[in-house]
Amino acid sequence: MSAVPPPTVAARIEAVQRADSALGLLRATQELAACTAPAAAPTLVEVLGFNNPGAAVAAVDGLISLGAAAVEALLQLDPDNYGARAWAVRALAGIGDVRGLELLLDALGSDVAASVRRAAAKGLGQLELGGLPGAEQQGVRQRCLEALLAATGDGEWVVRYAVAVGLESLVAGLPAEALERQQARDALVGLSQGGDDTPPVVQRRAALALSRLECP
Amino acid sequence: MPPAADGLQAGEPISEQEALRRLRQSDDPSQQYYGAWWLGRMRSQHPEAVPLLQSALRQRRPRDPGAGVEENAVARNAARALGKLAPAAHAAVPDLLDTLEDPDDGLREAAARALGELRAEAAIAPLCHRLAGGPAVAGAQRPDSPRLAEPCEALLEALGDIGRADPQVLAVVEPFIAHERPLIRSAAARTLLQLSGDSRWGALLVELLEHPQLQVRRAALMDLGAAGWRPGFEAIAGTLAENSLKLMALRGLVERGRGEPGDGALLACMDALL
Repeated sequence: MSAVPPPTVAARIEAVQRADSALGLLRATQELAACTAPAAAPTLVEVLGFNNPGAAVAAVDGLISLGAAAVEALLQLDPDNYGARAWAVRALAGIGDVRGLELLLDALGSDVAASVRRAAAKGLGQLELGGLPGAEQQGVRQRCLEALLAATGDGEWVVRYAVAVGLESLVAGLPAEALERQQARDALVGLSQGGDDTPPVVQRRAALALSRLECP
Repeated sequence: MPPAADGLQAGEPISEQEALRRLRQSDDPSQQYYGAWWLGRMRSQHPEAVPLLQSALRQRRPRDPGAGVEENAVARNAARALGKLAPAAHAAVPDLLDTLEDPDDGLREAAARALGELRAEAAIAPLCHRLAGGPAVAGAQRPDSPRLAEPCEALLEALGDIGRADPQVLAVVEPFIAHERPLIRSAAARTLLQLSGDSRWGALLVELLEHPQLQVRRAALMDLGAAGWRPGFEAIAGTLAENSLKLMALRGLVERGRGEPGDGALLACMDALL
């Protein structure tokens, strides 16, 4: 038996473009996502617009594993393709590249789908700021914080849950006396105490975040 | 649609007073329908809400392709709203029990769900009576439609929500584990899991998470969440379905479940699905 060489990236891209069934597209996208080649990014982004949730999940996973190399392709997405944009928010949230900031802020503040707002809230807490100069880091973090604080009043429990997660990761690395850390803590105290509309799961997640911020 | 007499357009937010007024009038059933929905959705505590919903529930008619349909639509929404208005709605349990005997199975379904939400123990015997024929009678498909003779899912789930684990109740529910429709099997397993805590019913729901139909996988997710069965958390996370539903199911495990795994593992699992 002779070993068959794995298909090239170009062959896998072609397989995605040729797929003629939902299952075929899913398999071809999984294959393409698995090769983690930057050249795959534009095709994976294209799959986000095909209205095939299974394939879109595989494409998002592939884009996240590409990391920074996928960001340009994601930002060039057609802003009017709503379905694709929702998946792109998830990919950018998972990648954590600061170039995704504007899209994530916009999604958390105004997207109609709770699933998109929740992904954006988590993503705003985990942007990679290490490569930026100190003053710029501060500015980006401040914008993330303001968006998350505003979203503590979101009407959907799952978004408020994601806000607790986002606030925790946003300020976890800051010194205890940092003002942002105080503001995040105050918001988490509010979520953990709940109100009529804040379900126990959100209160418990906020309380967990508080306990971790207090005993790092 | 033309503006209503008071200048309100359809679909505009309305006040509690306006919802009560719409339910109280009887010229326009579609306004009553919306008023009933509003009172349930907003969990109105107004003292007039329950009495008005009770009288809307009594307006039902035998199902008739002509005039009767609207009336039953109002009664159905009134039943649903009453389910959300505990404790005041306990006064309406006798009306809901009457509705459980209505010839319209859609109304029986709404009444059963409301009685479950109100945890009305008085409903246990009539619910069991409706299900007593088992899958071959209560669960038989009707000759003239794809619906079953009884709204089995709602009847089974109501017994689980009411939550009294009498051996007679378990004996009525258990045969539905063998029903030919996976959605009925899922509802029966959920109820048995809620009532007995026996892990074999949890395992059965976990099996349904791998069913080829998405609709069945979604139902099994919701049923595991309703029962709060914590050992199912990893299977829930790995199900081929929307993360939104998995998060709802996991929320059920956190809020309704007990024991292992603890909150930390469940919350970490939820964080990863955001």
